Amino acid sequence: MARLFSPVANTIARASLVAAVALPVGAIVMGSVVSRSPANTNVGVAFEQPVPFSHAHHSIELGIDCRYCHTSVTKSSSAGIPSTETCMSCHSQIWTDSPLLEPVRQSWAEGKPIRFASTGEVGWNRVAKVPEFVYFNHSIHIARGIQCNECHGNIQEQHMTAKGKPFFMKWCLDCHRKPEKALYVDEQQPALTPQEKVFAFYRKIQEGAKLSARELALKKGRDYQPSTEELRKGQELVQQLNIKVKTLADCSICHR
Amino acid sequence: MAETLTKPHDEEPLIEGNQTYASLTETVAGVVQRQKDHPKAWFVAFVLGFGLVNVLLLSITYLVYMGIGIWGNNQPVAWSFDIINFVWWIGIGHAGTLISAILLLMRQEWRTSINRFAEAMTIFAVMCAGMYPLLHTGRPWVAYWLLPYPNILAMWPQPRSPLVWDVFAVSTYMTVSILFWYTGLVPDLATLRDRVKNRFAKVLAGMGSLGWRGSAKHWMRYEQAYIILAGLSTPLVLSVHTIVSFDFAVSILPGWQATIFPPYFVAGAVYAGFAMVLTFMIPMRRWYRIEHLVTMNHIDWMAKIMLTTGLIVFYGYIVEVFYAWYSANPYEQFMMWNRWHGPYAPAYWLLILCNGVIPQLLWSKKNRRNLKLVFAVSLVVSLGMWLERFIIIPVSLHRDFLPSSWGMYYPTIWDFGMFFGTIGFFVMMMFLFVRFIPMISIFEVRELWSRIRPQRAEVKEVEA
Amino acid sequence: MEETKTQTGLDIEEIRRRLRGERGQRYWRSLEEVAETPEFQQFLEDEFPNRSSLLDLDRRSFLKVMGASLALAGLSGCRFLPKEKIVPYVKAPEEVVPGKPTYYATAMPFAGSSIGLIAKAVMGRPIKLEGNESHPWSLGASDVFSQAAILTLYDPDRGTTVKNRGFVATWEEFLAEARKVLPQAKGVRLVVGDAASPTLERQLAEFQKVYPGAKIVRHDPVSRTNALEGAKIALGREALPVHDFSKARVVLAVDADFLASMPGSVRYAREFAGTRRVDEKNQSLSRLYCVEPAPTPTGILADHRLPIAQADLEGFLQHVAYLVGAASQPGAANLAPESFWNGLAKDLRSAGAQAAVVVGDACTPAAHALAIAIQAKLGSVGSTVRYVAAPRPRSDLRLSALLEELESGAADAVLFLQANPVYSSGLGERLAKAIGKAKLSACFDLYETETAAACMWYLPAPHFLEDWSDARALDGTVSIVQPLVEPLHDTLSVHSLLPALMNRPSEPLAEVRKTWSVDDKTWRTWLNEGVSSVPKAAEVPVPPTLQVPAGGARRVDGFEVAIRPDPTVWDGTFANNGWLQELPKPFTKLTWDNAVHLSFSAAESLKVSNGDVVRVTLGERSVEGPAWILPGLAKNTVLLHLGYGRRAGGRVAEGAGFDVYPLTSEDSPWGGVGARVEKTGKRAVLASAQMHFSMEGRDIVRMGTMEEYRRNPSLKPEHAHGEAPRDLTLYSDEEKRREQEGVQQWGMAIDLNLCMGCNACVTACQAENNIPVVGKDQVQRGRDMHWIRIDHYYGPRAGDGSGDNPTHVVQPINCMQCENAPCEPVCPVAATVHSHEGLNQMVYNRCVGTRYCSNNCPYKVRRFNYLNYQFAQKNFDRKEDIPLLKLLNNPDVTVRGRGVMEKCTYCVQRINAARIEAKKKGRDIRDGEVVTACQQACPSQAIVFGDMSDPNSRVSQIKRNQRNYALLGELNTRPRTTYLARVTNPNPEIEA
Repeated sequence: MARLFSPVANTIARASLVAAVALPVGAIVMGSVVSRSPANTNVGVAFEQPVPFSHAHHSIELGIDCRYCHTSVTKSSSAGIPSTETCMSCHSQIWTDSPLLEPVRQSWAEGKPIRFASTGEVGWNRVAKVPEFVYFNHSIHIARGIQCNECHGNIQEQHMTAKGKPFFMKWCLDCHRKPEKALYVDEQQPALTPQEKVFAFYRKIQEGAKLSARELALKKGRDYQPSTEELRKGQELVQQLNIKVKTLADCSICHR
Repeated sequence: MAETLTKPHDEEPLIEGNQTYASLTETVAGVVQRQKDHPKAWFVAFVLGFGLVNVLLLSITYLVYMGIGIWGNNQPVAWSFDIINFVWWIGIGHAGTLISAILLLMRQEWRTSINRFAEAMTIFAVMCAGMYPLLHTGRPWVAYWLLPYPNILAMWPQPRSPLVWDVFAVSTYMTVSILFWYTGLVPDLATLRDRVKNRFAKVLAGMGSLGWRGSAKHWMRYEQAYIILAGLSTPLVLSVHTIVSFDFAVSILPGWQATIFPPYFVAGAVYAGFAMVLTFMIPMRRWYRIEHLVTMNHIDWMAKIMLTTGLIVFYGYIVEVFYAWYSANPYEQFMMWNRWHGPYAPAYWLLILCNGVIPQLLWSKKNRRNLKLVFAVSLVVSLGMWLERFIIIPVSLHRDFLPSSWGMYYPTIWDFGMFFGTIGFFVMMMFLFVRFIPMISIFEVRELWSRIRPQRAEVKEVEA
Repeated sequence: MEETKTQTGLDIEEIRRRLRGERGQRYWRSLEEVAETPEFQQFLEDEFPNRSSLLDLDRRSFLKVMGASLALAGLSGCRFLPKEKIVPYVKAPEEVVPGKPTYYATAMPFAGSSIGLIAKAVMGRPIKLEGNESHPWSLGASDVFSQAAILTLYDPDRGTTVKNRGFVATWEEFLAEARKVLPQAKGVRLVVGDAASPTLERQLAEFQKVYPGAKIVRHDPVSRTNALEGAKIALGREALPVHDFSKARVVLAVDADFLASMPGSVRYAREFAGTRRVDEKNQSLSRLYCVEPAPTPTGILADHRLPIAQADLEGFLQHVAYLVGAASQPGAANLAPESFWNGLAKDLRSAGAQAAVVVGDACTPAAHALAIAIQAKLGSVGSTVRYVAAPRPRSDLRLSALLEELESGAADAVLFLQANPVYSSGLGERLAKAIGKAKLSACFDLYETETAAACMWYLPAPHFLEDWSDARALDGTVSIVQPLVEPLHDTLSVHSLLPALMNRPSEPLAEVRKTWSVDDKTWRTWLNEGVSSVPKAAEVPVPPTLQVPAGGARRVDGFEVAIRPDPTVWDGTFANNGWLQELPKPFTKLTWDNAVHLSFSAAESLKVSNGDVVRVTLGERSVEGPAWILPGLAKNTVLLHLGYGRRAGGRVAEGAGFDVYPLTSEDSPWGGVGARVEKTGKRAVLASAQMHFSMEGRDIVRMGTMEEYRRNPSLKPEHAHGEAPRDLTLYSDEEKRREQEGVQQWGMAIDLNLCMGCNACVTACQAENNIPVVGKDQVQRGRDMHWIRIDHYYGPRAGDGSGDNPTHVVQPINCMQCENAPCEPVCPVAATVHSHEGLNQMVYNRCVGTRYCSNNCPYKVRRFNYLNYQFAQKNFDRKEDIPLLKLLNNPDVTVRGRGVMEKCTYCVQRINAARIEAKKKGRDIRDGEVVTACQQACPSQAIVFGDMSDPNSRVSQIKRNQRNYALLGELNTRPRTTYLARVTNPNPEIEA
């Protein structure tokens, strides 16, 4: 009787056995890799904006305080996006004929929100965003002395604004379970309240003051592994600020 | 007339008639080979099943699109047909596993002519069952959250929930059943490979038989694998339905929270399973002229098992009543009162009739060998087991602790759409199975024959 | 204020454009991103982007509703992040901090009175109304109507443009026409509704000067005429009683639902509650006698309740007057057993100045007069009651007279200002025809009502949150009605409309300030306080002894019809309000319908059961409606509710229930005697939110009399198990203790002695927590979504064989936040877990929807989104409805999508807000800083919420009360919400 399969069939059979295992596993691995990559998280991806606004220029080179534009960052859940008026408070005096600033002037003239000169789309492209069902509050984090850079990366160095951290729930919990990791006192000016410390940090960068290892990491938006000593100090701060750590990771702190 | 020869310890033979290896193989493999002459019944049944499958697909589409609200579920009855059918189907699967595993280990030779069939039933029944837990969730597209996998949320399933245990119980059950069934199939596929003429079929069978040559080594490996799998699936017979019963037993709801549930669910499962095997076997053996392989003895024994498990289940009902009284717990007592006199009382009494009274007919040997009657009883039992879950789930839910939140439950057409849809799926799969796969394990029958055949028969065969 | 308006300008512009029919999502995006609130972003992503198009294929109404609602991708876990825009202001308003609510004081005109409110606005969207603590008639609490009014603001069915004979027109066209017609009109008539606005009165007077011969017709379907007339009889001047129950030791309520539905009830409930609190120290309870034809929330709290036909009430009061010596001849002594009369009379006399007799508006003038006489005799005038001048003049012309004038042609120009007599009067169709004869007829109202349909012109009126005005409260207190948003539609304030008709265009604000010419400083304080310093209404003196003509009982032959405003949609004004339509009515728990309420014995004799359609005939008019048995009705009284059977005025209103107005007339708006009731053989389906009203002898609501309380302060029945012992668990409590250590522990206590089931908490919760309306069909399937519900149980009353006068108890049930929550261990994905603060958290975005938690919840307080209910307001199926309704949502609460379980979490959004503010100040939340929505709304302060770990917090103190008990405590769920057993104070001398 004629042979049904050629000898290669055995190899194929064995290969398919391997594939049966390898393919699904590979798919899953690929999936998780992609979902953690900037392709999904947009970390470090700078969006086009109506005006090429540079945080680096304004915050460090000019030394404008964060709160000048993000007015409600210490008061409210939302940091606030500067109104055209805010821009015009300077740009009615300087760079008054810069073509880059045309959208701002136009918005001011028309009394309509800023829009892309090219497409006419209204507004800025949103860079940093937590999911709809997460209730993040800027003011309490600032009040606790959490640096902007903890979440926004090296924002003060960015010419084109990009997302600094992936905003994974795991990543949030990392701090909410161990707040001592992120809490520290500026040794050079220990008198500052946590909130003052947050903004003093950028003045230091601007004045080129000497930065601690942690501060350097923050400046560069790098992750920082605090030493046991720093962790101990952090714990003391947790005590001082009366932070109820066990409640910090309760679901209803962020989800309602 | 061919005199029938018998095994010493048995009054009647397990294989009737004057058979040869060839004739046995021919009977079974022939069904698959001669695709032309299938009984009309096959087409009728298949078309029926296929029609219902379309109903199923429609129901599922509409369900995923609209939401659970298309069913009758409500507050307080948040579970109903969805979970009833899940438990019912899982139960039906159990006969297969019991036959293939436990009876094998117990050296019950009569299992030989029904195990392939019963195992197939198990697989299809578990498929039907599996649909419900997934589709009954409000957001099926995130149901994968029940699986433990490392994720960016730092979230894991909640291990105290019986629903998570279900995920593992059912998926293990599915996997092992398929392996078991397929392993047993390999030698028969090889037989088909060698017998069928059609090249396409040949290649398929060839691939399926994984290059089986029937060498002594192959047989040795086969026996080892088969016995190991039997060992693996034996605990499953008990564990799966035990865990399913935990869905109710761990709750605080009167009518759910009962320690009797695990054994009583397992017994019920086997009960329902054998009922379903009989429901299919009785017509099949006629249509495919395999009465000499699935003999009256088989029917008789299956009926006996049904009777036994049925009695255990009935005992369960009695215990429930006893504990309702003995607990002195007003809520438990009301639960029982409500089953007897409440709006759904007819369902309860019908359940007692179906699962408690009617099966008693099987005490008499005459009845056990009356095909029509056994067939009828098997249907009644299937209905009874469905009713049992109906009584346990919605009827316990609809009147619980606070009278203010008492309500009623009325199924909608979509509830029935899903239910009959899965039945259709089951029927369709079964009939595809009997058409394209040997419904009886050829080599096991031959092997059995080798032990119980008469000497003269052998002589004949040698001459032939 | 103005600033707010400028900043909302953008939104409003957008909405206007939207309403002019511009489609597409991009516009909504921009609007929503101005309000940078997370949930709004949620709507932008759709789980099934092609859903709406798919839906267009389908015709079934619910599917269409689905079409209206966008699925909430926000809840369905991770996905590739969508590109989004942030639209900043051009010029940021000063007082608005993005993400922070702003609060403004305003007032809601209602039923000839008003209630002071605080409106909460987020980025210029008003989203919630609360009571105003500084307003004497709110005291911080509110009622169902003021809670639900916010929904009306965003109601897509409101009139949006002027219409002339059904065609879109402009204000200019109307005004031109009016200015032409009015001067040479034979008779100009203004029909005004029940608004009690001084500015309106001033303008009306002015109008009559400009157009001499112009007459004012005042039309309020739920009128207080009888009370005014009664005062006229007794005091010679029209006046209204203003009670003070804080001083009352004995209260006799004659068909008076002063705790829930009478004007002033919000304050009255608080005052009365003050006299009903029982603990170890204070064991003196006031005593409430309730005599009423139909059961009312007030009747629920009564210590003695006597169902008496409406027609007999006058005779009853006559006898009371006789017994206390205020009248010479006896009345209908046969109405009550001897002991009742003696007990009552003795109580009243001994209480003297501390006795209060309150009479309902449905009672005859004579009855009111008798009540005044009784109080005068008891000397309680000035202590528990005073009489004040009516808030506004009476009609120049009766409605029936107007009808004749219109038919005769004597009146040829008629203007309806927020009045809808074509629907809400017995004249109905005839009036509609007559209006057609007029040269000029216009209807100025929120909706295109039945009257609007009869008029040439429809003029859209603004909602009170869009308009400047002022309003008088019951005692004449004036509040300024302050707008929170610019009008959403092309409306004109009535205060600008009238001047415009008088050829002197003016702005509403200017008009209101003209009425009260005060300097800006005072004005600002008025706005800020929500209450003005304007003197209240003048008091009407009561002579120490006064004689009133004897009242007598009319004979009741056959059935008697008692007509009352509906407890949820009132006289029909709120018929298009989904929240109120779906609000289960007290006693029957009916939703979306009114019914013909019959007593047990009446139903028996007529052989009708719930749902049988019956015909009720009074005189020559008759109406048909489904019967519903209401235990507690007087034997032969048939109770009918107004407000249903609307023929116009919105998609929600139309088709719900049946119209009762045909049975009313100007002279007898409250029904009458000699009615016939017969079966029609038809059946109707009604949706009741509760099906079983007996406690089945279970230990659910604990109650007892004062004596029983003294004997057994816990009032725990002997047979009952009571709370499970703490050491029941195998695991030590140590772990739990450690978890809770040093963290605030939230708990709630509900005093069943104070709750009369007025439903304010239910509506407040719905408004606060974005709870959807699901429609009659879904309620009927048992899928109503309320997070807090009022359970109602009937019990036998000693000496009541017929079952016509059972005892009623109510029990508000929300999530108990069990410490051993049965729902938690069964959730497979940890979507509901316990917080260290003792909350049973519900994480919507994690929920898969297995519904196991609900099955395992012994209180059945969990609610499941079986379908996509958001914005599924009955019939709101047009695409353009949704954006408008979205503006109402509370941005601090996740909007739940289909397939998700939801429930009460003690308003965790409020807890979190308070915690963050407290932490910023470096301290813990103080007692009273977190007030849950239900607690805030509760008029009698029956609900108390707070930190149980602080022994001095109010909730801890109340939980130490011996009456405190855990519902189903024997299950060892350890609920954080506990109840205080109910104590009644019956007169021992009265054998029931």
